[in-house]
Amino acid sequence: MRAYKAVLLVNAALLVSGAVSGWQVWRRAAGPADAQAITWGGPEREWHDIHGVVRAVLPELGIIVLTHTDIPGYMPGMTMGFRATTQIPEGLSVGDAVRFSVRGSPPLVVLTAIQKAS
Amino acid sequence: MSGLGLALRWIHLAASVGLVGGAVMLLIAGRSDRPTALAWQSRVTGAARWFLLVAVVAGLGVLAYQTALLEGRASAAAEPRALLRVATQTQSGLVTLVRLGLLAVATVFVVGRLRTTERIDWIALHGETAGLALVALALASAGGHAAAAEPSVVRAIAIDFVHLAAAGLWAGALPALALLLRAAAREEGADARPYAVLATQRFSRLALVTVLVLTISGIANAFTHVRDVAGLIGTSYGRLLVVKLALFAVALVFAARNRRRWVPALGGEARTIGRPAMQRLASAVGMEALLVTAVLGVVAALGVTPPARHEQAAWPLTFRLTTSVLENAPDARWQVLVGSQVAVLGLVVVLCAVMLRRLRLPLVAGACVLLITGGTMALIPLAVDAYPTTYHRPTVPYSVSSIAAGADIYAERCAACHGRSGGGDGPAAARLPRPPADLRAPHTGQHTAGDLFWWVSHGIARGAMPGFAATLTEDQRWDVINYIRLLGTLEPARWLGPIVDPGRAWLVAPDFSYAVAPAPPHSLRDYRGSRHVLLVLYTLPASRERLAQLANAYQMLTTLGVEIVAVPTDASPDAIRTLGAEPRVLFPVATEGAADILTVYGRFDAAPHAEFLIDKQGYIRARWSSRAETARDVTRLLAEIQELNAEKVEVPPADEHVH
Repeated sequence: MRAYKAVLLVNAALLVSGAVSGWQVWRRAAGPADAQAITWGGPEREWHDIHGVVRAVLPELGIIVLTHTDIPGYMPGMTMGFRATTQIPEGLSVGDAVRFSVRGSPPLVVLTAIQKAS
Repeated sequence: MSGLGLALRWIHLAASVGLVGGAVMLLIAGRSDRPTALAWQSRVTGAARWFLLVAVVAGLGVLAYQTALLEGRASAAAEPRALLRVATQTQSGLVTLVRLGLLAVATVFVVGRLRTTERIDWIALHGETAGLALVALALASAGGHAAAAEPSVVRAIAIDFVHLAAAGLWAGALPALALLLRAAAREEGADARPYAVLATQRFSRLALVTVLVLTISGIANAFTHVRDVAGLIGTSYGRLLVVKLALFAVALVFAARNRRRWVPALGGEARTIGRPAMQRLASAVGMEALLVTAVLGVVAALGVTPPARHEQAAWPLTFRLTTSVLENAPDARWQVLVGSQVAVLGLVVVLCAVMLRRLRLPLVAGACVLLITGGTMALIPLAVDAYPTTYHRPTVPYSVSSIAAGADIYAERCAACHGRSGGGDGPAAARLPRPPADLRAPHTGQHTAGDLFWWVSHGIARGAMPGFAATLTEDQRWDVINYIRLLGTLEPARWLGPIVDPGRAWLVAPDFSYAVAPAPPHSLRDYRGSRHVLLVLYTLPASRERLAQLANAYQMLTTLGVEIVAVPTDASPDAIRTLGAEPRVLFPVATEGAADILTVYGRFDAAPHAEFLIDKQGYIRARWSSRAETARDVTRLLAEIQELNAEKVEVPPADEHVH
């Protein structure tokens, strides 16, 4: 075989395999991030036994603001307001440590249960 | 790293470089039908086969060695599964795999019997060999130290890639060139002499460019991995680099002499001038090749030594030079100025000596006198005492927990002499032979954190200061130094007012960590580069009105890029309940971590209500407390924040370490 033809063939093969493996590496690098991302509007899910502390209660709006721990697969710990579908227990006041449950498909989640943590 | 691993790396590197250089030298010299040239070409291609074989085998050896190291047992080096795991799941393994793959492809051209009757085939063959080997060599940059360099990995890899490629072109071609010159310089090599002369001249031009590229990329690499003089002479990486530079310098002396003297002489009449010159050049190039092989050995060692940047440099001298001593010494400034001018004059005389051949000797003598006198005059005032730990970087960050721990240790062990607030006026100070240092003085310029670490560890004999190396752990000593750093900032911090001084950021905010339980903790550092932080130390009920103001403005403040962190001065874990439902406070209220924040930030301002505006870069930019006469309107705060937002970021992010 003539050398220049071999060179052309090898270069073409290297380019193709380089492009393919580059694409795979790129996809693998992008992969885990996708897996961790929140699937907005996915099927309904439920999270139970989340710990938090009451920051504000707005009974007229049915909203309770909580500083809470991480909610795995949904959001890190932060302060945010939840709409409650359940009756907000009487006597729940700012500063109370609570345990609560939420249900829904992010970002549309509602608070389904809340009780004071002993 | 044992000798075996090092030897494997060296052999692999040398063979890879030789493979590149051989093919490149063939391309530079070009085709020829002279018997001597043909014999040389077949010797070079024969050597290329060996280089390729050795490079692949040694490369596999390096991989096996790496596997044994990573798995922690020697037998793993022979297990295919373990080898595969390292080769596919570690970056350096993956890079080695790709490099070996490229070398395997190169086998087709090095070993295969391809037809090269036409010029295009011949060039394609050797060009492809050179190209594949060059990429395989230079890709090593992606598996070495450059792959972990900060801040820019890509830039570091690119620079190292260029460095390795240039090394392959220049260093690798030297043995092949030496062979050609030796063959052509022989009595019976006369037929190839013009060919060798032409090849040498072409190589000489290429060498000039590659050596320049090597030098520039080498300097850039040194900045990435070593950064300063302390790293260069105080770490094993730095010292290896000095050895490498020394060997490289000797090789350059040979190269310069060859270029100036022997390469021009080649063109002379073959029998009388050209041939002896060619013989001399052949041996000089051979020497260069040997030196470069030694350099590659050092490179292999550098590859397995942690870069100086990640090591604590042990300063080997008893002094160091710093211009910061001149700040308080006007007399020394004159001496340094005059001395440096004398030295510059000496350099001018050196230039004259280079240009004026007749007066060279007296001029050189005069230049030496001027340089030595000027240098001594200028440098002596700049020398200050230094210790082995002078350039150690603190291993404990400048944070409230470290400072608070340091404050306790200080009160127990240091305050008796240095005084409660560091003024050198402790109760025991009067009995000492020398007054203890005033720790509030701004010494950061003249003493490094490492100097302080040395004194705290080993004491100061002439001042009767005891050493604490035996009684305090290393972290505890750094805690004390962090506390001393705080002491040094308290006095100037008193002048910090409620108004942001644009462009002037100097007071580093000690890092702190807090949590609004049960949410996970945050630290000040988390906001670096993204948000300003308004740290509010409050006391109820006096602060209630101000907190209501801030609570109402919270949304606006968030929009402007500010987070509020409120810390109750009673450090109560029940702070949220105490605040109650009104005002509706939704910003973080520290229920954990408050005590250390209060201990440290309380030293800046001990008022019942104090606010610190900390910018994105981690500097305290404004301070306001209830001691101020006027009540503070939130619109004023918003104006200060706008001022910060309008600022161009010029100051580097605050370092959590003392310098």
